[in-house]
Amino acid sequence: MNKLNHDGLLVLEQPFVKVPLEQLKKSARTAQKQLDKDLSYVSQAVTELANKCDNEQIDPARASMTLENMVGRLQNLKRKLTDIKSEESLYVSRSRQRLEHLNGLTKIPTANSDAYTRWSRVRLDRILVDYMLREGFNETAGQLAREEGIESYVDMELFTQSKRVEQALQRFSCTEALQWCNENKSNLRKMKSTFEFNLRLQEYIELVRARKTSEAITYSRKYLTTWPTAHLKEIYQAMALLAFPSTTQCMPYKKLYDRARWDALILQFRADNFALNSLTSQPLLSVTLQAGLSALKTPMCYQPENKNINCPVCSDTLGELAEKLPLSHHVNSTIVCRLSGEIMDEDNPPMALQNGYVYSHKALKEMAAKNNNQITCPRTGAVYDQSTLKKVFVS
Amino acid sequence: METILKEHEKVSKKHATLAQGSIDSIDRIIGAINEARAQFENCPQSCPTQLYNLSRRVKDITSQTLDEHKDFQSTLNKYGKAIDKKWKQDITIATNANAFSEKEKILQKTIALHFIRQGKFELGNTFMREAELDISDMPQAQFVEMYQILEAIKVYDLGPALIWARSKREELERRGSSLEFQLHRLHFVQFLTNQRSEEAIIYARKNFHYFQERHLAEIQRLMGSMVYFNNLNSSPYAELLSPDAWTDIQHQFTRDFCSLLGMSWESPLFISVTVGAMALPTIIKMATIMKEKKNEWSQQDELPVEIPLPDDMRYHSIFACPVSKEQSTEENPPMMMPCGHVICKESLNKLSKANSRFKCPYCPNESTLDQAIRVHF
Repeated sequence: MNKLNHDGLLVLEQPFVKVPLEQLKKSARTAQKQLDKDLSYVSQAVTELANKCDNEQIDPARASMTLENMVGRLQNLKRKLTDIKSEESLYVSRSRQRLEHLNGLTKIPTANSDAYTRWSRVRLDRILVDYMLREGFNETAGQLAREEGIESYVDMELFTQSKRVEQALQRFSCTEALQWCNENKSNLRKMKSTFEFNLRLQEYIELVRARKTSEAITYSRKYLTTWPTAHLKEIYQAMALLAFPSTTQCMPYKKLYDRARWDALILQFRADNFALNSLTSQPLLSVTLQAGLSALKTPMCYQPENKNINCPVCSDTLGELAEKLPLSHHVNSTIVCRLSGEIMDEDNPPMALQNGYVYSHKALKEMAAKNNNQITCPRTGAVYDQSTLKKVFVS
Repeated sequence: METILKEHEKVSKKHATLAQGSIDSIDRIIGAINEARAQFENCPQSCPTQLYNLSRRVKDITSQTLDEHKDFQSTLNKYGKAIDKKWKQDITIATNANAFSEKEKILQKTIALHFIRQGKFELGNTFMREAELDISDMPQAQFVEMYQILEAIKVYDLGPALIWARSKREELERRGSSLEFQLHRLHFVQFLTNQRSEEAIIYARKNFHYFQERHLAEIQRLMGSMVYFNNLNSSPYAELLSPDAWTDIQHQFTRDFCSLLGMSWESPLFISVTVGAMALPTIIKMATIMKEKKNEWSQQDELPVEIPLPDDMRYHSIFACPVSKEQSTEENPPMMMPCGHVICKESLNKLSKANSRFKCPYCPNESTLDQAIRVHF
């Protein structure tokens, strides 16, 4: 049981390596787009200029000036590209660091080693930062990452970016969110995300709410009708909305006017953003904690006389968290000594006192040696002589 | 892992060339433009030719740069595929979004407690402020004391630890802890190591007296080591000098300190998450199978399979009856027959039904129902 199952332990690390890759891909796409846009423009403009010059529509001095402007544009492109490339370098080296960290685990053979404890502590810190970022406790997240020196193992930037979008949605503004949709267009389409449609619908609803009827109609023609097949019913409803005032009690129009739609948009943004970056929908803390608590939970954890202070589920806080989780399952007996906490086996067999209370041979021998061969049962206070102990067989 | 690392190596190499290359190509275009301008400013009639040439060069460089970028993206995709090949499982299947609902505050309290227990007090404060937690019911002061004592031990100062252990003497003894004696013992050895034998003797006279009854043998051994105090290193007592003693005493102190607070010596959050990471593959497999049958693993009363735990993470005795395979309960407790074999009460009753005197299922011994006694693990 002490041998580490490396592949099993890596199961939860997909986001750890995927997030920097997704960010790298995004940067590379931006670089590609920017280059494509500016270079194609320059190359086309030069060709046009050549033609014009050939037909004597423009004199060389003017042509030279146009070229100078192009150089300005190219300098600008160079600056942007330098920024993007250094951002990319960050994600490339971050990916490397994370892979090395995971690879480090595969070199640790056993669970009861200091190396594994250290590795697991880093894992817990990473998981905690992830939780803090998701819950919006950014200061704690930053401080923990800094103190532990694990900045390259956590995704602060990603959450800073998404926070900007979320805050804009809280202010009832779709602009940032729409820009985000534009940046991730192809991937959102692949996911069959309805987020962009919902944003457009919301902007339309706000126009109707403000009674800007003609603008609303123009807007719907331009943006809503581009999603005909999947959202036809919603488009119908949206158009019918024009007939209802924002105070209507009539369903579903009352619902369309509801401000709670904005909260739903934030939730949808989060879900799509997590999926896009291969982050799990639930924080890794919940995932691992639920699995762990369930694996540890026994009926004894909730019986005051059978609690063990070293057992996590026996503690008040985690015991309450484990309340709704299943109990662990056991087909084989395990007898834990209440005196030493050790597991009893052939080398350290269980011994029963005359009152039927069982402790490990080793712990009882130690106690007897210190107390003139007398043994005091810690649970009942009864005192017995060492010679009255009886070996117990638990198969 | 190896394949992924190799793919990443390719990404890294390509990126380095590309980053420099794409900047260079912009410079080349700028250079070409400036060159053309200079040429036709000198000789205006060459303007169309220069511009046509320039246009060709710009096109060439553009398409080359864009191709390089496309190539880089396909390298990235290959790296991504290597990752996807290793991680095929969806781990969210192993969570129940509702298991912790309305328990956010408890979860946050657990985390705050974890920070405090790790001695990360400032971090704990930041978090409690951000999460708006009540600080007053946190054992902050106690752990500040614990870490102060530990810091002192780390610089070989046992004073604060000894003061604490003396003040908790009764409680420690009741728990069977020998911490106070172990601290005195280490202090004595410290005198020996520093070649201060006279002080060691004075120290021993003053402090060992109280422990005579419980630790006589060890005291005799310590005093015996004095004979070799000049060359303890090569004496039979060399192991007294082991530096492990200093880490061991820190562990023992931490355990006893936490135990007196009624707390585990290791952070329960750390243990739970560590166990969770280990249990996850089994739970994912189970959840996948159960989902096919339209069941949720997290809503069962008991997990359908056993999750093996390392020995030091088992905290409760589990007795599974070897006859019925059922776990013992208050109603169906474990019973020991005179031969020492244990089975559950219901199994015992079944055996005795056929014959008032019956044979143990595991050995030739025969006994009766009233000879069996209930055992408490």
